[in-house]
Amino acid sequence: MALPDLAKKPVRFIGGHRACAGCGFPITIKIILQAAENPVIVGCATGCMEVTSTIYPYTSWECSFIHSAFENVAATVSGIEAAYTSLKRQGRIDKDITFIAFGGDGGTYDIGLQALSGALERGHKMVYVCYDNQGYMNTGIQRSSATPRGANTTTSPAGKKVPGKQQYPKDLTAIVAAHGIPYAAQSSMSHWNDLYRKAKKAFAADGPAFLNVLSTCRLGWGTAPEDTVDVADGAVQSRLWPLYEIEKGKWKLSLKPRRHYPVEKWMSMQGRFRHLFNPQKNETFIEEIQSQVDAKWEELVRRCSAET
Amino acid sequence: MTTNAAKLMKGNEAIAEAAIRAGCQAYFGYPITPQNEIPDYMAKWLPKAGGVFLQAESELAAINMVYGAAGAGSRVMTSSSSPGISLMQEGLSYIACAELPCVVINMVRSGPGLGGILPAQSDYFQAVKGGGHGDYKLLVLAPATVQEAVDITYASFQLAEKYRNPVMILGDGLLGQMMESVTLPKVESPPSPPDWATTGRQKGKPRIINSLYIEGDVMEKRNQHIFAKYAHMAEDEVRFEKYHTDGARLLVAAYGSTARIAKTAIDRARAEGIPVGLFRPISLYPFPNDALRKAAAEARVVLTLEMSMGQMVDDVRLSLEGRVPVVFYGRTGGVVPTPKEILKELHRVWENRA
Repeated sequence: MALPDLAKKPVRFIGGHRACAGCGFPITIKIILQAAENPVIVGCATGCMEVTSTIYPYTSWECSFIHSAFENVAATVSGIEAAYTSLKRQGRIDKDITFIAFGGDGGTYDIGLQALSGALERGHKMVYVCYDNQGYMNTGIQRSSATPRGANTTTSPAGKKVPGKQQYPKDLTAIVAAHGIPYAAQSSMSHWNDLYRKAKKAFAADGPAFLNVLSTCRLGWGTAPEDTVDVADGAVQSRLWPLYEIEKGKWKLSLKPRRHYPVEKWMSMQGRFRHLFNPQKNETFIEEIQSQVDAKWEELVRRCSAET
Repeated sequence: MTTNAAKLMKGNEAIAEAAIRAGCQAYFGYPITPQNEIPDYMAKWLPKAGGVFLQAESELAAINMVYGAAGAGSRVMTSSSSPGISLMQEGLSYIACAELPCVVINMVRSGPGLGGILPAQSDYFQAVKGGGHGDYKLLVLAPATVQEAVDITYASFQLAEKYRNPVMILGDGLLGQMMESVTLPKVESPPSPPDWATTGRQKGKPRIINSLYIEGDVMEKRNQHIFAKYAHMAEDEVRFEKYHTDGARLLVAAYGSTARIAKTAIDRARAEGIPVGLFRPISLYPFPNDALRKAAAEARVVLTLEMSMGQMVDDVRLSLEGRVPVVFYGRTGGVVPTPKEILKELHRVWENRA
């Protein structure tokens, strides 16, 4: 797929929504929906995505759309998919339809994890997409279990004693993969080709599929609108957000950054880590984060090479 | 913040500060608009006051953290807004049955469903009628100003401990988001854990916190015991405000934000010669039945105003037991009625009185 070809694909998430300038999720959704061939039914958890794209009487969604509460989009789409399967069996519908559930990291890592796990275990043929912007941004920037260690949020405030969020993020992609579903992958909105390819695979999977897509939030991360793609790319290059996929149980790296790109460089691009650099650099803390990122990367590489 | 001079504060932040000053030791919450300033403030200031702040992974988790901390004898609270409070109902039912004290703040937003983030009073029934499953009640207090929200929050911890029952403060998005001048109460030290807290038997009887009663007659006794406390509340905890109710021939019943808007309209109507007064319940449970009956003694008609499709109006009717006709006017969906609009309604009701 070349970029000009992508541009020719029909767009199912159109402009005019009220997301911030430089927001990452519209790019994420647009590319994913462009990879869908069948008619699409979208379920969407409460969050920025739903709030900014569906303010009645307007919508950005050129497809069927249903909103759910914060915790249950996977359950709502399970219900739709189950009804569809039943109608198809009865011969009352013959179309092939693609079902997608969208949720942010708050609605997926935290409050929606139970519904997601249930849907994966039951085996509904749906694609669950988590657009991970590493925090509760719609409610004014609170920490989530996807927020990186050290980030300043309103509920993990950086002060003299505590330098922002204390915990490392949850490894959701691995948790999802442990359900043994046909396809799970981690991607980033900075890598459109990787995202498009993985969305294609997810739609083609024979059973539940999952995409965890890093999506910049310029307000929550403290970055300039024009840097949205670069910051997401920095997360990938620094190996903090590796691109990989798990296909029928096989782990595979999608990208191996060539040059050494320290996590520090990625952090220094963002206002939410400012306290780690000013008034003086918190060397030990940053080193600790770097070594955790290195250890997780090595573990991932081991998993991927063991499978090949 | 140490001085007691008046300061300008946002409702949500003032409530959080009042809770810290009341000796709140633990706060558990989850993000939802329009109350995010409460957890944000708690995250920043409660640890500095020696307390604990934790963000839960859901409201379901938050209320059960409250359950655990209350059982351990800690002064504990949570806050949320309508959809989040709905998720807490199971936990509140357990807490009420297990007789644990806690404070829950609901900054009500419009519903049903995801609704909107604008102010509403449509959680009245959920708050005062039990909300979750089983026979239980919350002690429900509804402030109308930021100062009153501060005073009520400050008092609510001791009320919760007195009755070993959850206290709910029913505000709305308007109260949470507006800034007003407040005088903050003095800082109180948290008490030592009560003698029922599960901090070890200390040579006494085992301390048991439980809400499971398999045998019918034992469960029934529990219900009767809990309701004896509610009867006690009805004696001692009724709160209300009367505004020109003496000789009022048209009585307005309204609570919270709606009541203060109604006051402006009432002042204008009185200037025009309409004998109208306001009865403002502050305790929504226990509901001020007797006081309302007295206030309505000379009324030809009672108008209930709410930011809902009509919920408190049912309790107004139950209180008055058919003595006076009761009519209703409400705005919903987050629409806040204007004084002009209420004045028009006062005219209509007064002109059409029987």
